[in-house]
Amino acid sequence: MSVTVELSYDMSKAYGERRIELPQAENVKAAVAQVEAAFRERGQELAPLSRVTAVAINGVLVQHRRGMRTPLRDGDTVAFVKAASGG
Amino acid sequence: MMKGYAGRVLEIDLGARTHRYVPLDEEIASLYIGGKGYGTRLLYDRTEPGIDPLGPDNPLIFATGPLNGSVAPQSNRFAVVCKSPLTGGIGNATCGGSFAYAMKRSGVDVIVVSGRAASPTRIEIDGKTDEITFLDAQDLWGKGTYETQQILGKKMKHAVVGPAGENRVLYAGIVSDERIAGRSGVGAVMGSKNLKAISLEGNRKLEMDDPDAFKAYTKTVRTLFAEHPHLGSSMKRFGTGGIVNTTNARNILPTRNFKYGHFDQAMDISGEYMEDHELKGVKSSCIHCPVTCGRQVEVEGKGVVKGPEYETLALMGSNLEIGDLKKVDEWNYLADDLGMDTISLGATLSFAMELGERGMLEVDVSFGDPAGVSELIRDIAHRHGVGDELANGTKRMSEKFGGTEFAMHVKGLEMSAYDPRGSYAQGVEYATTNRGGCHVQGASMYLESVGPLTINPQNLKLKADIPVVQQNLACAINSMVLCIFTSYGMIPAMIHNMDPSSFTHRMLSKAVENLGPLFRLSQSIKGKPMLWWEKWMTQITGTPMSAGHIQEIGGRIFNLERMYNLREGLGPEHDTLPDRMLYEPTFPGMTSGHPLDQLLPRYYRNRGWDAGGVPTPKTLEKLQVQV
Repeated sequence: MSVTVELSYDMSKAYGERRIELPQAENVKAAVAQVEAAFRERGQELAPLSRVTAVAINGVLVQHRRGMRTPLRDGDTVAFVKAASGG
Repeated sequence: MMKGYAGRVLEIDLGARTHRYVPLDEEIASLYIGGKGYGTRLLYDRTEPGIDPLGPDNPLIFATGPLNGSVAPQSNRFAVVCKSPLTGGIGNATCGGSFAYAMKRSGVDVIVVSGRAASPTRIEIDGKTDEITFLDAQDLWGKGTYETQQILGKKMKHAVVGPAGENRVLYAGIVSDERIAGRSGVGAVMGSKNLKAISLEGNRKLEMDDPDAFKAYTKTVRTLFAEHPHLGSSMKRFGTGGIVNTTNARNILPTRNFKYGHFDQAMDISGEYMEDHELKGVKSSCIHCPVTCGRQVEVEGKGVVKGPEYETLALMGSNLEIGDLKKVDEWNYLADDLGMDTISLGATLSFAMELGERGMLEVDVSFGDPAGVSELIRDIAHRHGVGDELANGTKRMSEKFGGTEFAMHVKGLEMSAYDPRGSYAQGVEYATTNRGGCHVQGASMYLESVGPLTINPQNLKLKADIPVVQQNLACAINSMVLCIFTSYGMIPAMIHNMDPSSFTHRMLSKAVENLGPLFRLSQSIKGKPMLWWEKWMTQITGTPMSAGHIQEIGGRIFNLERMYNLREGLGPEHDTLPDRMLYEPTFPGMTSGHPLDQLLPRYYRNRGWDAGGVPTPKTLEKLQVQV
C-alpha cells in the first residue's frame, strides 16, 4: 500500500519537501498522525500550519466522506486544502 | 438629474466622424442601473436581429455605473457591451484600472461607438470642454497595447486594442492601463471599427445624495476589507494566484486541456511560489482599490511588468502542462501586449495541442513543452499560418478539424479554470451564463469549492439555486460597476478563521447546503441596505437598495441577456457543457461527469423559465423586461 500526502505550500516550506509517501495508513487520521511525526522528526510542528486547513482525499473533503476516519486505499492522495479566493 | 450619474450618453459615429451628447435615459438607469445592464438594454433596443458582430452595425458600448467615479473600494471598472463575435450572442466584459474613474469625471456615463472608420482612427474626449477629436491612428496601428498607451501619454486615460483586436482575433480584448476587458471578443469589435484607442480626461465631480454618510461608511468598509482574511491578507500576499494550490488539492485545476484536475507541478505556478521567487512588487492598478491583487514580475527584455492572474496561471500553465512560472509570466505579458484574453487563448492552445497529439491538426506545440508557444501566440495575434485558425477560438476550430467532445467552451466562449466535475454549481453557471463559459458572471465556485464554506460541491443540493442568486448578484455588480471580488467579502472573517473540521463549521456548512429554496428566498427580501454595495448605492443615488432590489435588478438584466441570446439564435440547446465535462470522470468512484441533465430543469424552474429554458411571459412581466 502507498498513500501520497501533498502538503500545503507553507507546510512544504517548513518540511523541506512537497510530498510525503506513506507505506501504510489505515485512515486519514492515521495519515495525519504520521505527517505530524515526520514534521517532529525535522524539528517542525504541523499544528500551527494546519489550523484552518481542510483535508481532502483525491480532491474530496473528508467532511463528505467519513471524516478523519475515512479509510485510505492504495494510491490515494491526501491533500491539505486552504480556502482561497480569486478569479 | 439622477444622483450618482453624469447624466449624459456620448454617441459617436465613426463613419461620419460625428458625435452628440444625449441625456441619460433615466428609466433605463432606474431599471438596469448602468454598466452592463444599461449597455445590454441599449444593444437590445438599437440593433436588428442577426447583425454581423464585426460589421458597422454592431455598437460598441462603454458604460459606467453610479459607483464609478467615487472612492469606494473596488469601484472603478467599466463595462463594454456589444454582440460577441465569438458566440454570436450577448458580449460583454469589464475592466479595472483608471479609465472608468476618468470617464465619469469627463461627464459621461455611457459612450456608444457606432459605424466604422475609413482608416485607423483614435478618439480624444476632453471632458473639460466637451470637445471630441477624431485623430489618425495609422502610426499606432500594429503597435502593442503597452507601447500605444505609452505613446498616448499619461495626461489622459486610455482604452486601446493591440494587434489581436486590429486583426479581429475573436477573443481579442480592450486594454486599459495593465487591465483588460478580456472576454467575448470586445477587442475584435473595436478593431473591426478601425478604432485603435479612446482617450479621455475630465475633472467633474460626482454628485451624491448623502456624501457624508458615504465618506464615513467607506472608511468602515476599508477597515473591514483590511481585516478580511481574503481581501486584506491572502489576496494582498499571493494575488489571485493564491488559489492554484487550492483548486489543485480539490482536483479542479484544469490540466492537459481539462483532461485532469490535478497537476503535479501546480505549486511551481502558484501565487505563493510567485511571492517567494519572482515577485517584484504588489500593485493595485485599479484606482482606489485597497485589495492590491495585481502582481509585478520581471520578464526578460521587458523589465518589471504585470504578473499573471489565476486564470492565466491555470489556462496557460497547468492546462498546457507547463510548470515554469517564468514562461507563464512571459506569455501573459505577450497576450496583454497583443491584446488577447488569456482564458480563451490558453484553452485554444490546449485544444490545438490535443488536436496535434491526435493527428487532427498540424501544429508545432505540445503539452509540457514551452517551445513554439510564444511564436504561436504572436502568429495568432497576426493571423499568420496556423495561428489564423487558432484566432477563431475552440468552437470554430472544432467545427473545422473535429474534436468537439474535447473543445472546452460553452456557447463558443472558452471555459474558465474551475473544473465543473468537482464544482457542480459552477458547472450550471458555465452552462447557463449568457456570455458563455465564464466564472465571473456568478463565481459560484467560491461558495461551493474554493471558499471557506465546506458544502459538498458534488451533490445536487443547492447547486441549481446558487447560480441563480450569484448570476443575479454579478449582473448587478457589473452594472454598478464593482469588481466581483467584492462579493468575496460577504463571508465574514469569523468563518474564515474557523477550523473546517470543527463541529460548528461542519454544522454551518450543512445548514447552508440544506437551505434549498430558503437560500433564494432570503435574497428576495426588500428590506434595509445591509451589504456595502447596497449602502453605497443608497448613499450615492438616494434610492434605497437592498438584497431584494439587487436580486430583482440582476434578474432583470440576466433575463434581458437571455432574450437577446434567444433572439440571436443562441437557444437552450447551448445550455450545456463540453462532452469531456459531462462524460469523463476525474474523481475515483465517479462513473460519469457533471450531472447537468439533473440540475438544468431545476435551474430553469428557479429562474421562472419554461421547461424548454425560455423565460415565461409572467417572469418577464414580473421583472419588467420589455422585449
